[in-house]
Amino acid sequence: MPSVSLKRVSPIALPGRPARTEECHGWPVVLSYAEEGGGPWVADLSHRPRWDLQGPDLDRQQPLGHTIPVRPGEVHLAGGLLINRLNASQAALWHLAGDFPEPPTDPALTEVTEATLCLALAGSRLFGITEKLTSLDLAAPGHTAPRLLQGPFGHVPCQLAVFPGPPGPPMLVFTCSRGYGHDMLHAVLAAGEEFGLRPAGQATFEKALTAHIH
Amino acid sequence: MAFTITCPVCGPRDGYEFRFGGEDKGPRPEAADLTPAAWCDYVHMADSRPGVQKEWWVHRQGCGAWFTIHRDTVANQEVSLNLLEAAE
Repeated sequence: MPSVSLKRVSPIALPGRPARTEECHGWPVVLSYAEEGGGPWVADLSHRPRWDLQGPDLDRQQPLGHTIPVRPGEVHLAGGLLINRLNASQAALWHLAGDFPEPPTDPALTEVTEATLCLALAGSRLFGITEKLTSLDLAAPGHTAPRLLQGPFGHVPCQLAVFPGPPGPPMLVFTCSRGYGHDMLHAVLAAGEEFGLRPAGQATFEKALTAHIH
Repeated sequence: MAFTITCPVCGPRDGYEFRFGGEDKGPRPEAADLTPAAWCDYVHMADSRPGVQKEWWVHRQGCGAWFTIHRDTVANQEVSLNLLEAAE
């Protein structure tokens, strides 16, 4: 029987000239763009694996070998894996960097990679951009650790992981339904135009994420 | 923000993130001896009295949780349970 190669496509295409690309598990991935600049930047992470986890006893579960944060809104960053506690019975897992893990067989996990858009925004003037897109207070003082918000971003219900920094630059990683992808990117680029927002590749994102891990 | 609602999961948020789910009418009536008129009243009739009432809301643009709050329908403000208990 001939092997089947899957061709996967991101819901969006960033407007830039890719400098380095690769294909990863059927996804065309841009590692870097020709003129990324020094930020702020936006990166498409839609190809990274994501799962929803639902169950009655999340505190005792260890998806991909990691514990789940206890309180809703808490975020646990382990290597390239971001575990977001949504509520008493649900969590979201985003594998944002590193080698793709083996798909977990736990029936409590549902893969949602191809159902959602995932974008990262970062840079020193990040919150100037986000203020134009949401009434959520992403820059609320008193938060130093990453945290999760669920709310409207560009009038679209989103899950938003906020990395206030330092040590890394202020960063926002968020997901929404795939169908909103085109319009969401349009809104983000329009809001970021006055701040010099440029597209960035997976390598730039991983460098920023690494800064937050250490 | 003119009107905020406190979501049990997300905390205080802009009222526009939520959708009204109706007055809290208490538990569903028992099926035994339930007349069509009584069921119709339970489903369709609301008290709509001015003042504080218990209501259902859903965090539609956020976590999706359904929950109840007490709201002063005259001032259009959420009223905390602690303040209600102190007033009684």
